[in-house]
Amino acid sequence: MSRHQYAMVMDLNKCLGCQTCTIACKKLWTDRDGTGYMYWNNVETRPGLGYPRQWDRIGGGWKDGSLQPSPLPTMDDYGHAWEYNYEQRLYEGKRQPVMPSPEPKSGCNWDEDVGGMNADANYFFYLPRICNHCTYPACLEACPRKAIYKREEDGIVVIDQDRCQGYRYCIKACPYKKIYFNEVTGKSEKCIFCYPRLEKGEVNACAAQCPGRLRFVGLLDDPESPVHKLVLVHKIALPLFPEKGTQPNVFYVPPFNPPKIGNYGKSIQEDPRVPLDYLTYLFGPEVRDVITRLEAELKKQQEGGRSEALQLLIGRDAETRYRIRPQLVQIQV
Amino acid sequence: MRTHQLLTIASVCLLLTAVTSAQTAIKPASGQSLSVAASPVSVDHLLNGGPAVWNQIAAKHVALNRTPPLYDTDEPAAVEIPVVDVRLARAGGKLIVQLSWRDATHDATTLTEVPNTPPETRFLKVPTDADDRFFDAAAVMFPAKADAGAIAPSLQMGDAEHPVEIYYWNGTRGSMVMQAQGRSTTKRTGQNFPSSGIYQNGRWNVTFELPDLAAGTTVAFAVWNGSQKDRDGRKYFSVWQVLE
Repeated sequence: MSRHQYAMVMDLNKCLGCQTCTIACKKLWTDRDGTGYMYWNNVETRPGLGYPRQWDRIGGGWKDGSLQPSPLPTMDDYGHAWEYNYEQRLYEGKRQPVMPSPEPKSGCNWDEDVGGMNADANYFFYLPRICNHCTYPACLEACPRKAIYKREEDGIVVIDQDRCQGYRYCIKACPYKKIYFNEVTGKSEKCIFCYPRLEKGEVNACAAQCPGRLRFVGLLDDPESPVHKLVLVHKIALPLFPEKGTQPNVFYVPPFNPPKIGNYGKSIQEDPRVPLDYLTYLFGPEVRDVITRLEAELKKQQEGGRSEALQLLIGRDAETRYRIRPQLVQIQV
Repeated sequence: MRTHQLLTIASVCLLLTAVTSAQTAIKPASGQSLSVAASPVSVDHLLNGGPAVWNQIAAKHVALNRTPPLYDTDEPAAVEIPVVDVRLARAGGKLIVQLSWRDATHDATTLTEVPNTPPETRFLKVPTDADDRFFDAAAVMFPAKADAGAIAPSLQMGDAEHPVEIYYWNGTRGSMVMQAQGRSTTKRTGQNFPSSGIYQNGRWNVTFELPDLAAGTTVAFAVWNGSQKDRDGRKYFSVWQVLE
C-alpha cells in the first residue's frame, strides 16, 4: 500500500464518446515508434467487444490469492495502426481515393454505437478506460523482473523501462489489458497517470481536454478531494469488475437515467433502458445501491432541495473537479 | 515414452532441489567436461564459417532440461529440444562456442529499422507488427570471477557470492552481455559481443565469441524456443560443464 493514492472518477452519464481524451493522451505519450496501435486511454462502446477485443472475458486478475491465466491479445484484437496513401493521392496524381492501409479490422472503439438490444430498444453507453493504478496490481505481482512498481508517494503504477525485458507476463496478468507491448523497443508500456504533469500541479491530459468534464482527479485519502467525496462520502462511484481482485483506483458513476421512449420520469430500476444485469456485470452488485442513491439525489434536487453529490458531479470548474497537491505527496529527501 | 518423461521430470526436480537448497553447487565431475580444440582458423572464419569449418571439431551432446512451470499461470510445455551440440575452439585469444540444436520452427525475424531521426520529426512511425511472438534465443553462462575452487555458482543465474556473466543471443534482437547474481537479478551491461546465427534444415547453428576462459571454468547453456513462448526462465538449460 502506498502512503497516498491518486484516483480518478469518470461520470459515464456525461461521456459523449468523442475520444478527445484518447487523442490528448496519444499526442502526449504514444506518438513514438512502436506505439501506433496503443491507446493508453481509449473510449469504447458498451456493451461491445472492447479494446482489445473481449478483454473483459479472457482472464487475468486475482482469485483466492492466485494470479489467473490469460492469453495475450493479438494485434488483430487491438487493431493494427493504419496509415493513408496520401503520397499517391496528393503528390503522385493517382486518381484513387485516400484509403487506409492495412485494411482496418479492429480499433479502440471499433463497434462504435452498436450497443445491445433490451427488448425492442437499443441501448449503449461509452466507457473511457485508462490503467486503473490498482491497489493490488496483478501486473506487478506477475513481473519476474520486478520492473513494475507502485509509487510509494502517490500510488501510481509504472514500468521501469530499464528493467523491463518484454516478457509480457504483466499483459497476461492485467484483467483490464491496459499494458501494451512495444515491439520496437522490446518493452511493455502503459498509462503513467500523467505523473510528470501531476508533479507540476497540472491535471492528467485526458481530464484536462475532456469537453464533457466528466473526469474528477485527486487523492483518494484527501478528504477535500472530489474523488474522496464521490467514492467514499457520497458512495456513488464504483470500480470496474471489482471481482478481479486488484482494487482499481479508477471509479465510474454508472449511467443511471437514460430516457427511453414512453418512460419519461420512470427510474432505471422501474423500467431500465440499460439492463441492470449488464451494469451488475460491469460494476458488481453494489451498482443497484449506487443507482438508488443517485436517484434519491436527483429527486432531492428536482423537488427544490440541494444535492451536494449532484452539484459536485456537474463539476462546473477545474477547482471543483481536480485537487492536485504535489506538495502533499512529494517524498522528502 | 511415459516412463522416460517421468524420469526426466524426476531428475529435473531432484536437480532443482539440490541447486535451490545448496544455492551453490559442487563443480561437476569429469563426465561433464568439454574439450576445447585449438583452432587453426581465425575467429572471423569460425564466426562466419559454415559446417565445413565446424565439422572439423568434435561435438559434445549436452542434455537440456526444461524448467518446470515457474508460475501458476504458465501453459505446460513439452520437451521439444532435448539436446544441444556444443563445439568449442580457441583462436586469437578468444573462446569461440558453437551451439547447434534441432528446432522445427524458425522463430526469428528482421524488425523494421528505426530511422535515426527523432520520431516527432517524422510523419510515419515504425509500427509494432506483432505483440504476441517470442523469438528463438540461446545463452552461455560462466562465473564472472575466475575461481579455481571446488564451488560453482548457483545454476539459477549465480548467487550473491558467485556472480555470473551471461552471453545472450537472440535470433531477432542480436547479442547482449548480461550480469547476474541470483534469479531475477539479470542486468544488461549495454555491451554486445560478436555472434552469428544461421537457421538451416531445421537446425540452429549459433556461434558466440567469448573471452578466453581458462581450463577448469564452469559453463552452462540455455536455449529458448520462441514457438513455445519461451522467455525468462521458461527455457531449456544444461547443468554446469567444465572446460578441459
